[in-house]
Amino acid sequence: MAERSVVHATFSIQRAYDSPPAKVFNAFADPAVKRRWFAEGEGCQVDEYSVDFNVGGYERTRFRFGDGAPMRNDTTYHDIVPNERIIFSYTMTIGENRISSSLATIEFNKAGAGTELRLTEQGAFLDGLDTVGPREAGWKDLLETLARALQS
Amino acid sequence: MIERSVVHGTFTIERVYDATPARVFRAWADPDAKARWFVGPAGWQLLERAIDFRVGGKEHVSGRMASGTVSTFDSYYHDIVPDQRIIYSYHMHLDHTRKISVSLATVELKPEGRATRLVFTEQGAFLDGYDDAGSREHGTGFLLNQLGAELQR
Repeated sequence: MAERSVVHATFSIQRAYDSPPAKVFNAFADPAVKRRWFAEGEGCQVDEYSVDFNVGGYERTRFRFGDGAPMRNDTTYHDIVPNERIIFSYTMTIGENRISSSLATIEFNKAGAGTELRLTEQGAFLDGLDTVGPREAGWKDLLETLARALQS
Repeated sequence: MIERSVVHGTFTIERVYDATPARVFRAWADPDAKARWFVGPAGWQLLERAIDFRVGGKEHVSGRMASGTVSTFDSYYHDIVPDQRIIYSYHMHLDHTRKISVSLATVELKPEGRATRLVFTEQGAFLDGYDDAGSREHGTGFLLNQLGAELQR
C-alpha cells in the first residue's frame, strides 16, 4: 500500500514576449495552437488532446515518452478573462498514480507592444511521486517553447 | 471596466475528531451526510445542491445568506483516496456574477489512536480586489466545527 503524503508548494515565473497580450492569450485559448507548443514535443507521443476552453470545461492530454508509462493531464478551467487571465486546476497522472494536483494562474499584462506573462502555480505534490523543482523547470521550458511558437 | 488583480494565499487548519478516518471520510463522501454539515451560518438558506463524489465529478452548492447575498460554490474532485485524502478545486461567486476566488483544497485524514486528525490546506487565488481579510479561513473553520457536530450524531 502506498504511503500517502502531500507536500504543498508555490512558485511564480515571469516571462516577457514581444507579441501583444491577445496573441499570447490565443496561444492558450486556441486548441490547435496550444497543442503544438504544449502537448507536442520531441520524443513525445500524444494519444489524446481534447479541449473545452470554457469555465467549467475540461482539457485532457494523454501522452507518453518513448516506451515510458502513459501520462495524463486532466485540467479544469475556472476563470477566463480574454487577453488578461486564465485560472485552471490540473492533476497529473503517471500510469495509475496521481502524482500532483495544482492550481495555476496565468496573468497576461501589457508591456509596451509586448506581454509580460506571470504564471503562479500552487501545487499539492502527492505520495513522494513528484516535487516542485521539476515542475517549475518544466513550466520554464514550456514558456520558452511558447516563445518560439509565437515567433513562427 | 473591472481592474483585474490576483492575490495568492495559503492557510492550513487542523482538527482532531473522535471518530475513525472511515467515518470522517464518509461525512464527505455521503451526499446526505455532507448536506447536514456543509451549510452556511444561521439565516443561510439553501438554493441548490448537487454532488457527484468521484474523481472528475462536480459539486454545486448555492445559498442565500441572511444579508441577502447569494454565494455559489462550484467544485471539481481531483483526487480521492478512501479514508485518507480528498483534493478538490473550486470557485466561488457572489450574486452569480462576481467571481471572488479560485482555490485548491486538500483534506488529509490521519489516524491518531482511535481518533482522526484532519488537516485542511487551502491554496487560493483571490480576485479583482475581493478583500477576503481572513474570512475564508474563518468560514472553513466554522464548517469543520459543523463537521465535528455531524460526527457526534
